[in-house]
Order: sequence, then structure tokens, then C-alpha cells
Amino acid sequence: MGGGATTVAIKNSVSGYNLAMEIVVQLLLNALVAGAIYALVALGFNLIYSTARFFDFGYGALAAVGGYATFLFYKLLGLDIFLSLILGVLIAGTIGFLIERVVYRPLRARKSSKTVLLVASIGVLAVVQAIIAILFSSQFQTLALSNQQVIGLLGGSITQTQVITLLAGLIIMIALAITFKYTLFGKAVRAVSDDEEVAQIVGINSEKTIGYVFFIASAIGGLAGIAAGFDTGLQPMMGFSLLLKGVVASIVGGVGNMYGAVLGAVLLALIETIGVWQFSGEWKDAVAFAVLIIFLLFRPQGILSR
Amino acid sequence: MEYLIYIATLVCIYGILGLSLNLVVGETGLLSIAQAGFYGIGAYATALLLVHTGVNFFVAMALGMVLAGVIALFIGTVLSRFSGDYYALVSLGFNVIVFSVLLNWRSLTQGPLGIPQISQPMIFGFSFSTPILFLCLALILLLLVYLIASFITSSSFGRVLHAIREDEEAIAVFGYRTTYYKLAIFVISAMLAALAGALYASYFTYIEPFSFQVVNSIFILAVIILGGLSSHRGAVLGALVLVIVPEALRFTGLPSDIAAQMQQVFYGLILILLMLYRPQGLLGKFRM
Repeated sequence: MGGGATTVAIKNSVSGYNLAMEIVVQLLLNALVAGAIYALVALGFNLIYSTARFFDFGYGALAAVGGYATFLFYKLLGLDIFLSLILGVLIAGTIGFLIERVVYRPLRARKSSKTVLLVASIGVLAVVQAIIAILFSSQFQTLALSNQQVIGLLGGSITQTQVITLLAGLIIMIALAITFKYTLFGKAVRAVSDDEEVAQIVGINSEKTIGYVFFIASAIGGLAGIAAGFDTGLQPMMGFSLLLKGVVASIVGGVGNMYGAVLGAVLLALIETIGVWQFSGEWKDAVAFAVLIIFLLFRPQGILSR
Repeated sequence: MEYLIYIATLVCIYGILGLSLNLVVGETGLLSIAQAGFYGIGAYATALLLVHTGVNFFVAMALGMVLAGVIALFIGTVLSRFSGDYYALVSLGFNVIVFSVLLNWRSLTQGPLGIPQISQPMIFGFSFSTPILFLCLALILLLLVYLIASFITSSSFGRVLHAIREDEEAIAVFGYRTTYYKLAIFVISAMLAALAGALYASYFTYIEPFSFQVVNSIFILAVIILGGLSSHRGAVLGALVLVIVPEALRFTGLPSDIAAQMQQVFYGLILILLMLYRPQGLLGKFRM
């Protein structure tokens, strides 16, 4: 993530104070980009968790679906980058919608417990990841552009795609906030997540609403996967790791609270970035869970409770 | 013949893992996704003791089980405060942490290189070095674990566990400290998983961290869900089916990496289809 540029920046700096400032700025920029990706995953996870009410592990795989679909159109078929991006997001959304139809809806119709849905979603995760690995191999791939433009910012550096990632994250957050506050659909989603039965009584088609929620959440997850593909690369198992970050972020921020999810994501990314800087990248996942466990023990409702 | 013995030994190891996890998931109703962590702790403790100190296998195995038990005591203390989805998530988190330690504590575990040349079990100068003798040992241990599990479920302790599964609040009203019971069964389960780990390490004489990831915990979970929760026979049956059927994929002539992925598709589909059409599994008594 702009490692080369950082070294140059460090060499050019004169005083120790400047150097320290630059490291801080660079760490913050890195954390913001990672935080934006985690926030997208957390937002989608939060949406599903609050309406369908189960821990959807399969949701993680949709991030990989989005990333690989874009990879297929952009790198393998040579389509335009923005077209590939939109196709990737739509495919992730559609597959998420279909999985809900085929697996989760029948389970809900049978009044299955939350645990049954959770186990089924673990199955979905395993199947989707393995299919991606069969189609695209388990090799590490990247969406990154060869001619990356690096932008200097307050002594740190950030790539063009990272800027786009940040903007995309911000736009999605604002769009979601507006949708849920002002539109009829948003109100229906909120009603279903408050109380599904009462929502049905007042004439909301909760099954249809949940279907749309799965489409939107999966599309957002797909976008996060695409952003991760540009930022760190693609790997069939990437979704699982991203999902865990999203779940941790949304619990740390306060489950069911949109703003909390974003806050949790940025906080988690910041802690991880500092951890990576101080120790090494390999402890990233362990650090995320340590944060989760500490929060669950001392502040189980998260930073902003619902 | 060699191959059949190999399969049978694997079934024994996964049978022990299934029996151990069933005590927590099936009997007590706590969805733990950490079993591969304790399996790994047992395997690494045994391997390191055998390679560095040269103690007897059974001593190393016992020490590995004690270590897994102690770690489970700490983890369980945290876990006992949660239930439902959060129990699953936090236990999964512990598995991730254990895997990170195995992978990154290079000075102790040699990281991704793994530990080679683990010696085979010996007792009174008698070595279980041939595959058939090792299978006998694995069968004896499987039987032992089966008896332990049956003893636990038929005891009054086991009945309290069932009560926790059915209605934790109700049994707490009767004055049972459910936290202690949940903790106790978690520790016992971890120790039995460590036993399977010890067996695994000395059977393959080589271990690496990648055998002890979350996917492996999910595999063990699939074993008992397929066999049927809260059924000891089911746990062994599940191990039998889930070891044999994917092995059959090897003979289809697919390249090995694709065959490995096809196994994942198969496990995943089994979980989905079971949840849809038979959530209690083949021989299960308990529906999640």
C-alpha cells in the first residue's frame, strides 16, 4: 500500500519530528482505506443481521464473488474498468439474492432456529469459496492497475484507487443513511428489523423486503471485495477474513447501528494498522479477535448501542 | 490394504474428534467452532515433547491433554459468559488466535515449515510402528473415548448438561451453577480433542499449522451434524462417511487441487442439505 512512496518520503524528510508526523499521517491514511473496506462489509452484515436475524457467514463469500467477477471482466475479458466494476457489484448482489431464495427462505419458512441458519450459511461459505477456487485457482490475483497514480497528502501518500475506495465507501454510507431515513423501502426494512410480525400486520411484505436486503447487502459486500482486490489482492478465501473483520467492526461499533458499524470499522482498522506497524502483518486476524473479545467482555453493547 | 488401514486410522482420529465436540455441541447445545484449535494444541505439544525431550509417547500425550485442558479453562471462562451466535463467533475467534500462534511463533513451532520426524508410540519396548499396530492403538483410544463420552452422558453430570441445552434458565433456578458445568464439559472436550491431536502427530510423523484452522473445526462440526447431534454412534458414523466419501473423489481422476476443492463443495452441500431436510442428522436426538 504505497510502501515505496513512504520510503521515499521518509528519506526526504529532514527532522525527526517531520518523520514522526509523516509516519502518523501514513498510518492514518492506510487505516482509513482499510476502514472503508471493513465498513462496507460491516454495513452489509449489519443489514442482514438486523432483518433476517442470523449470523450470515455465507455473506463473506459474496465479497470474493464481487472481486472475482470484476477480475473476470476486467483482467480476463478486457472490458472497461467501470463496466467491470458495475457488473461485479450486480453479480454479487444477484448471487446473494438467489442464495437467500434457495437456502435461507425455505429455512425461515420451516421456522428453523438461528443456529440452523448459521450452520447452513457456513455451508454456503464453503461451497462458494470452493467454486471460486475451482474456477479461478487458489492463486493470489490482483486487480491493481499497472500505472498507479500516487497522490501526496500531508506528507503521506495514497493511490488513486485508494481515493476512489474512500469516496465509494463514503457515498454508499450516505446513500444508505438517506434510504433508511426517508424512503418507503427504508422504513419497511426498519419495521421488519424492529418486529417482523407487526410489520406483516401493517401490510409490509417482509419476505420481499428481506430479499431486497440480501441483494443490497451482497452488492455492498461485493463492492468491498472489489476494493480489497485493488488494495491487497484477490484470493478465494478472502471473503472469510473480510467477513470476520466486518462482524468484529459491527459488534465493536454496536450491532444494528449503522454509524456504529462505520466507527467500529475505522477503529478496528486503526488498531490493526498500529499492530502491523509494531509487530507484523501475520498477527492481523488474531488482533481483530482480541479486540472483539475485549469489547464483548467489557462493553458488549458496542460503542454506540442501538 | 495399506490404504484401507490408512482410511480406518483417519476414521478413528476424526471419530475421537467428533465424540469430543459432540459433548459440547450435541449434549450441552453450545455451538463451538474451536475444536481444531485444541486438536492442534494436543498435536503440537506431543510433537514438541517427542522431538525435543524424547519422553514416552503416552507421557507426551497426557501432558498435551493437560496443556489443552488448562488453555481450555482460560478460554472457557471467557466463553461461558456467552451463548448462541456469540458463543460460536468467540470460539471461532479463539481458533483463529491459536492458529496464528502456531503459524507465527516460529522459534517454538517452526511456523509454516511444521515439525517433522515425530516418533511413533512405544510402550514397554513394544513399538506401534506398523500401520496395522497403529490402527489397533487408534481403535483402542477411540473405544476409550467412546466409553468416557457414554459415561458422561449417562451420569447425573450429563443430565445437567442436557438440561442446560433444553433450558438453561430453568436449570439455573434449581440452583445449578450452569457456568461451571459449561466450563467443565468444555475442558473435558478440549482434552479429548488433544488426545486425537497426539494420535494424528505420531501417525503422520509430521505436522504443520494448516491442519488446525477454522475450516478444520467446521469439518469436525460437519462430522457430528451429519452423524447426528447428541449421539455417540452418530459421531463415529459421521466420521466414517465424511472420511470415506471424499476419499472416493480421489479416484475420479480430477487434479488434486480441484479434488480438494470438490471436497469442500461436498462438505458445504452436506451442511446446507442437512439443515434444509434433516437438521437432526442421521442418528441425532437433538435438533438445533
